[in-house]
Amino acid sequence: MIDFAQSFLFILQGVSITIQYTLLAFIIGGVLGIGLALLKFNRKAVWLINGYISFIRGTPLLVQLTLVYFVLPGLLGINIPIFIAGVIAFSLNSSAYIAEIIRAGLNSIESGQFEVSKALHIPSFLMWKDIILPQALRNILPALINEMISLLKETAIISTLGEQDIMRRAQLVAAEQYTYLLPLCTAAICYYGLTMMLEQAGKKVEKVLAYD
Amino acid sequence: MIKVNQVHKNYQMQSVLNNIDLDLSAGEVVGLVGPSGSGKSTLLRCLHGLEKIDSGTISMQGKTGLIFQQFHLFPHMTVLENITYAPIHVLKHPKAQAIEQAMMWLSKLNLRDKADAYPHSLSGGQKQRVAIVRALAMNPEILLLDEPTSALDPTLVQEMILVIHALKKAGLTLLISSHELSFLKQVTNRMLFLKEGALMNDQDTLTFFNEPGDSPKHQFLSAFHQLVQ
Repeated sequence: MIDFAQSFLFILQGVSITIQYTLLAFIIGGVLGIGLALLKFNRKAVWLINGYISFIRGTPLLVQLTLVYFVLPGLLGINIPIFIAGVIAFSLNSSAYIAEIIRAGLNSIESGQFEVSKALHIPSFLMWKDIILPQALRNILPALINEMISLLKETAIISTLGEQDIMRRAQLVAAEQYTYLLPLCTAAICYYGLTMMLEQAGKKVEKVLAYD
Repeated sequence: MIKVNQVHKNYQMQSVLNNIDLDLSAGEVVGLVGPSGSGKSTLLRCLHGLEKIDSGTISMQGKTGLIFQQFHLFPHMTVLENITYAPIHVLKHPKAQAIEQAMMWLSKLNLRDKADAYPHSLSGGQKQRVAIVRALAMNPEILLLDEPTSALDPTLVQEMILVIHALKKAGLTLLISSHELSFLKQVTNRMLFLKEGALMNDQDTLTFFNEPGDSPKHQFLSAFHQLVQ
């Protein structure tokens, strides 16, 4: 029993690692995604962006991660630590999905909102910040929460590089104690708890943003 | 107030405004009619500067305000925020002053108790009036109304007539495009008939509706009368 309590705590310590990857990747991916979506919406570099999104969506995250960790250092001639490689790969991956979500959100705004902003002489930056993006954000919030939840679960892939996240710790315990049931259930409960929290937080934000 | 000189506008080889000459004086209430696609909206949008003209000149004494057919209120802002956003952020008016001016117009148009409501909870007529107040908040001297009655319940047209009278009383010059001939007959003092981008008639309202003859204008008017009967 003491043994299991120790293992449980050991696995639990992975939670903060998983959260770090998820939050950083979501924030960086979100900023990139907004940029890509705005460029594409304004018909700039469309060909390039479509190619990028197509590549990210069409290849496994594991391939992308190992490319960043094993191939990129050779090309750039620098050493990339696991944490940085993970954040880069997850951010790039997320940016493609977020860009598509935001593009759908922008398309859901009727053209009259752009026209009336122009008619009231509202400068472009303020129009995007105060008129268009708040409305788009509200429409896509469920999809964004969805993306954050899948991102959180997919960070488990970082365990393949040896990072001590929830998944890796569960595997270590399993290997040491020759049993999979308890450590893997512990890992599953950790992931499930985190995604539930995200879901609840999403519902709260949705209520704050609601206007009808 | 507005002087339009030989204005042309094309969309991909097709002419939408063809040699328009127009002179509006302060305080006039002018109606703009014509078949769908005759260029009414385009003319209003060009006057407001929302679209560029290809040749000719438009000179203006004072600012214009444009009110769209579908109102296009900001759904995520309250009525008061809708109205005061541009004065505060574009004209840099102090917030208190912007709110005071907005409330003054809201009271005049019977909307005072709706200041904190969101657009989705308003009726069509109320949305229309909010859109008008939002345009007024930018202190225009000339108000351009694109089909103000088309999205309204027929019973609300009477209400719109009162609104137009209030605007006229406030000293605004009005240019109103509409298909509602009886409405225009009651509020305008001058009528314009646009066909295929050309200004065919420019007459005072009485003459416009009563002059005998068989011009394109008469065919347009009689088509409407047949529809009504």
